[in-house]
Amino acid sequence: MKCGYCGYEFPEEEGIKGCGKCGKPGRCHMVRCPRCFYENPPEIGFVKKLKEKYGKKS
Amino acid sequence: MALFKKKPSCNGTGSAPRDGVRKVALVGNPNVGKSVLFNALTGAYVTVSNYPGTSVEVARGNAVIEGVSCEIIDTPGMYSIVPITEEERVAREILLNESPDLVLHVLDARNLERMLAMTIQLIEAGLPVVLVVNIMDEAERMGLAIDIPLLQEKLAIPVISAATAKKRGVAEIRAMVATYEKKEQAVFGYSARLERDIEEIASLLKGGYALSRKALVLLMLQRDEEAAELVSREEGEGYAAIDKKVREKCFERRESFHLDLSMERKGIVRGLMAGVLSIPDKRRVTAGERLSSLATNPLTGVPLLLIVLYYGLYQFVGKFGAGTIVDFLEGTIFKEHVNPWITGMVKGMIPWEVVQELFIGEYGVITLGIRYAVAIILPIVATFFLFFSVLEDSGYFPRLALLVDRLFKRIGLTGRAVIPMVLGFGCDTMATMVTRTLETVRERIIATLLLALAIPCSAQLGVILSLLSKAPGALAVWSVCMLLIFLVIGFLAAQVMPGEAPMFYMELPPMRLPQLSNILTKTYTRMQWYFMEILPLFVLASVLLWLGKITHFFETMVDWMTPAMAAIGLPRETAVAFIFGFFRRDYGAAGLYDLQEKGLLNPRQLTVAAVTLTIFIPCVAQFLIMKRERGLKVAIAIAVFVSLLAFTCGWGLNELLVASRLI
Repeated sequence: MKCGYCGYEFPEEEGIKGCGKCGKPGRCHMVRCPRCFYENPPEIGFVKKLKEKYGKKS
Repeated sequence: MALFKKKPSCNGTGSAPRDGVRKVALVGNPNVGKSVLFNALTGAYVTVSNYPGTSVEVARGNAVIEGVSCEIIDTPGMYSIVPITEEERVAREILLNESPDLVLHVLDARNLERMLAMTIQLIEAGLPVVLVVNIMDEAERMGLAIDIPLLQEKLAIPVISAATAKKRGVAEIRAMVATYEKKEQAVFGYSARLERDIEEIASLLKGGYALSRKALVLLMLQRDEEAAELVSREEGEGYAAIDKKVREKCFERRESFHLDLSMERKGIVRGLMAGVLSIPDKRRVTAGERLSSLATNPLTGVPLLLIVLYYGLYQFVGKFGAGTIVDFLEGTIFKEHVNPWITGMVKGMIPWEVVQELFIGEYGVITLGIRYAVAIILPIVATFFLFFSVLEDSGYFPRLALLVDRLFKRIGLTGRAVIPMVLGFGCDTMATMVTRTLETVRERIIATLLLALAIPCSAQLGVILSLLSKAPGALAVWSVCMLLIFLVIGFLAAQVMPGEAPMFYMELPPMRLPQLSNILTKTYTRMQWYFMEILPLFVLASVLLWLGKITHFFETMVDWMTPAMAAIGLPRETAVAFIFGFFRRDYGAAGLYDLQEKGLLNPRQLTVAAVTLTIFIPCVAQFLIMKRERGLKVAIAIAVFVSLLAFTCGWGLNELLVASRLI
């Protein structure tokens, strides 16, 4: 995925996810850019599945 | 730290694979396509782990490339061999500790001149470098022509032209990975004075080093502590003389060594670039570049920002989202259909009035909690996140960071603080957490204070824009108040906590036309997350308010706050919105919406309530995160200060408006 702020491209697994440090109930699901810490929404589940099915890498 | 281990192959070919596996490191500035190339070379066999002793993640992949087993390492982005950030430190450690058989330096063809400085440093260090001039397709589109064979001749290393995102050049890179043999590389000469200084120190070095002596001496002259430690270890007793000489040279050149070195390297790069890069007489300036320069130039950037805020926030979020859609959902759907239907159903099913109140009463779960969440907050955050996603996807935010950098420095921050400030308009709680990315404690405290004080969250902002736009002049008064408070408190906080504002620099990603799919995906995900978070909290708040009502505790709280409300010229009922606001900012804003709907506030009172409520004490979640991030003392100090300031400003504004009859 691509950071919406600094444009850094990183695999979703490399982003900082569900750190739970903000004290919010449950996980916020946002993926933080490992470079600038900007919070990026992850790809929607079914879009991801579609991409996986048709072989398009994000 | 085991930096710069001895490298047996340092002076050899640098290409003999160990254990039959060739180690290939991808290096370069951020955003030059390293990860794309990494994926193209490795496929699916990738592991990502923290670099030992750090929080920096490094991706490694194994691949057989044209019959040769390779380990590919995607190093974190670096701008120079002299590290500033932890990421750069890790990248350098990989290069110098892991002795790669091949270093693929990936750079952006559009910024060739700027990025070649690092190529020089890598070659100077004696590393087996291959240069990949990436993003050639974009460079060509801009009309730039790069003479790759000439550049290769000048650098005396292999140079490959590529556009890895489009698979262009990947075959050549694969072939190079499989067949690379290190040959003699170019030597870049500095001025006679610098060369003399380097030689004087280098002649004292007796040990064996992984990188060239020239590179090592230059690092020491730049006061690189790890290089000095290494030399100290290697040279033993001889180090004292070397250190003395380095200090002597540093003292002689104390005025401008870094500048001199960078100017000399710039001169070398200029020499390399001569004849290599052809720029058309009239370079095609893309629309994105034109917009980018308009957005960062203060003369055009500020009006552009005001236009964006007017159409995006005021017209779209305030008028359309918080006005048209909320009126429809709240006024038509809920009031005319949902509420009567659910009221009839609950009354038919539950005979006890007190329990009926829990669902359909003044603070009922459905008539208040769900109505607030679905009919008031949801349309506002949906329009806000849509607007936000368009700006985000266009690449506007980094330009905003550059635009406000100078202003932010006056309030003890830098352009870097734009990230938490912008995210604060989404949710202040999460944004408070992001303040940890700011460099100094001073910046973090100032940013936390300003977030708690003057940055309304999306729903609060939407409701306020919608309500105040109905009273002429009210929105202007609110905006001026918020801006003044932000700047004055920021300025005073910067005076109370003295310290230098750190440097701010960032790589600007290109401006682009926002993609509809990206915008919709991001908006949907953010909305879904927001709604799932607020719904249970709103329901819980309704239950607590119901409990407060039946035990009369809520009424007592309102009684306690009545004098404060009276002091700022507000009716007693406004206390309800303030109590709501402590649960959540958006809940408080929705409370204000209800008061306005009931006709309890005149335009002056509405303006005073909006200003006071925006500044007023941060919600419970934000307070907890402030405590976590800044400690209990700072969190309490900020909360007390913010609450006192809110009522002081509310009182002052009310007096001013009464006296001036402005509204």
